[in-house]
Amino acid sequence: MSKVGIIGIGHGVFGRRSDATVQELAFEAFRTAMDDAGIERKDLDASVIGSVPEYHKQRSLAGVINEYLGLIPKPAWLTEVACASGSAAIRTAWMAIKAGVHDIIAVIGCQKMTELETPEILALMGRVGEVQWESIYGTTFPGYYSLFARRHMHEFGTTHEQLLKVAIKNHYYGAKNKYAFFQKEITMEKALASDMVAAPLQVFDCCVNADGAACVILANEDRAKEICKKPVVWLEGMGCATASMSVLRRPNLYSIPSAVEAGAQAYEMAGVGPGDIKVAEVHDCFTIAEIMAYEDLGFCKKGDGGRFIEDRQTYIGGKIPVNVDGGLKAKGHPIGTTGVSMTVEICKQLRGEAGERQVPNADIGLTHNVGGIGQYTFVHILKRED
Amino acid sequence: MDLGLEGKSAIVTGGSMGIGTEIALTLAEEGCNVAINYRRHDTEAKEVVKKIEATGRRGLAIKADVSSYDDAQNMVQTVIKEFGGLDIMVCNAGINWDGVIWKMSEKQWDTVINVNLKGYFNYNKAAAMVFKDQKSGKIVNISSINGLRGKFAQTNYSASKGGEIAMSKALAKELGKFNVNVNVIAPGMVMTEMARNIPPEFLNKAIDETVLGRIAAPREIAEVVAFFCSDRARHITGEVIKVDGGQYI
Amino acid sequence: MFKWFGKVNFSPFTKVADFAQHLKEGHIMGSRCKTCGATSFPPRADCSECMSGDFEFFEISGKAKLHTYTKIVAAPTGFQDLAPYIVGVADLEETGRILAWIGETIKEDEIKIGMDVQVVPQIFDELEEIKVYYSLEKPGTSWTKM
Repeated sequence: MSKVGIIGIGHGVFGRRSDATVQELAFEAFRTAMDDAGIERKDLDASVIGSVPEYHKQRSLAGVINEYLGLIPKPAWLTEVACASGSAAIRTAWMAIKAGVHDIIAVIGCQKMTELETPEILALMGRVGEVQWESIYGTTFPGYYSLFARRHMHEFGTTHEQLLKVAIKNHYYGAKNKYAFFQKEITMEKALASDMVAAPLQVFDCCVNADGAACVILANEDRAKEICKKPVVWLEGMGCATASMSVLRRPNLYSIPSAVEAGAQAYEMAGVGPGDIKVAEVHDCFTIAEIMAYEDLGFCKKGDGGRFIEDRQTYIGGKIPVNVDGGLKAKGHPIGTTGVSMTVEICKQLRGEAGERQVPNADIGLTHNVGGIGQYTFVHILKRED
Repeated sequence: MDLGLEGKSAIVTGGSMGIGTEIALTLAEEGCNVAINYRRHDTEAKEVVKKIEATGRRGLAIKADVSSYDDAQNMVQTVIKEFGGLDIMVCNAGINWDGVIWKMSEKQWDTVINVNLKGYFNYNKAAAMVFKDQKSGKIVNISSINGLRGKFAQTNYSASKGGEIAMSKALAKELGKFNVNVNVIAPGMVMTEMARNIPPEFLNKAIDETVLGRIAAPREIAEVVAFFCSDRARHITGEVIKVDGGQYI
Repeated sequence: MFKWFGKVNFSPFTKVADFAQHLKEGHIMGSRCKTCGATSFPPRADCSECMSGDFEFFEISGKAKLHTYTKIVAAPTGFQDLAPYIVGVADLEETGRILAWIGETIKEDEIKIGMDVQVVPQIFDELEEIKVYYSLEKPGTSWTKM
């Protein structure tokens, strides 16, 4: 069976994009990706849209995006698994190409979140656990991750300062990323003084809702080698797993079981281990999430995540640079877009296009994209063609 | 029909005479331990306690002014301590002090409102706090058909009796989910000490108003009250039951 | 009626609706599969083990141990007047876990992961509609507060 590679990438500016509709945001990223790939719309066979519909007033997004991009009558559909929708779109396109149904597919992650007010967003995002038994208690998305954080601190002695070091790192790199929502560094003092959201998580522990889009063009091996003038980035390890929607039915509350499972699948398929990964994008919706990701992906031992960041092992120059584009924390988290955004960054790194944020000798990268509070995780391992 | 009142504990305000005494005795006969209050009539009160104890039940007479919020709280706590609990609150203590409004003093108004309406608030609240926690209880407030209509020279009394009815309905809504029933008994004319002081022509007028051609004996009110203190009436709440021989229809 | 469960309820229709009726009467129920005996809390109509749809309720003791907790300050729509509130997750003695507010009998500075708690049915007493829930309280606390 043929390999599947990425031949074009595009990324828009993330932020409060009250200047554009979701389809206009999608077009920004799509245009860039098509130019990058050097193809025209007639070369595409289909598009897959990763987005979470309930945040938009517009119903049935896939059709709107497909039309605005000028892709009618090609096949188009939406994939939705909360914050992992972007990776789900990539996996779906990968499956279609691997099966030989299509040759070249545009994957567009796009999302507007700021059409809703903050308490509405909190209410909507909070209904990502088991609504029937939990939402009646006013649970929120940061609330769920706080439950994890408290337990992680209880089990392993992780400190709040260690959590905030993740935010400090990500803002350090976000300041160097022109597409990021926040382009200023932050200090520990400022972070500790920020408002409480859901104890122990404060404002600076939490990623921010944002609008934005990103796009990758996937192609089968033959077309990729024929078309792509830049190094092709191959999708080598595709892991995907699910876990309980409810904190009441997880085996433990200090790791994300679907991430462990998806990671293991991806490593096996790609024939590599955690130590082989040169650069990673992980799902830091909250600082604690990045710490759990280090452990779940095997970058460090279970429980050592706090020490790992404290020792600066995830900065460039450390054992494994993580989120050196700012992560969800500094970039912002337009939820359907994030998986594609992570993939764009890894492609940049593997192609040597990351400028002052370049990880030296990056030839193998990993994206870790979690949906909701861990009910879905997609781990993708990408390798540069040599 | 067994009312199922065996072993229950009740408070009847104004139990030292009239309708109140009859209510206390009826409840005792049905199996309740009964506590009554008195303000001045301690001799009469002790007599009632003796009659309660003659039925084999426990009786208690506590000095308490119904218009005192604190007296009501203390009485409820005392009864719970002595009887081991409280299941029934019957508010019955009431006075009248008639007069046409242009001759009615401020004190005349205030006293009747305080004893009658405020008094029911004091005891209903004290009982509600207990009943709400224990998820069971019965409150019966004795009003009057003159709370449903106006009576000449009774702006104060009618106001207090009408207020008791509205208050009881509001309270029924608050306590329903805690499995507590709140109902009102509205007697017409009843042959009590209060009634004996009424001039004969007014008494006859009352008899003429009734369909049954007679004035109620206190026991005829008390038996209806006992039914509403029981689980036989468990699906009735916020209701006003006239026991008036057809005087009002 | 299941819509009695919670000040804001998002799932008024469910095969386990009688849970709310029992809760209103002071009982917290888990479910047991009548075919294979597997138990579950929260209750579920369809057995996760043998797929049978034949279930019955059974009353749980409410004894539990606190697994983790958080204090929610930024509250979602419908809960802003209750904020801040503390949400706890506790491991139930019989089976499963439960998520609920930590109630008035436990002071904030007393909360410790691993502490014993009692799940107690509660009524929203200042709402006119019938609305019920359960909370995590000190062991020995009972619904009837006798």
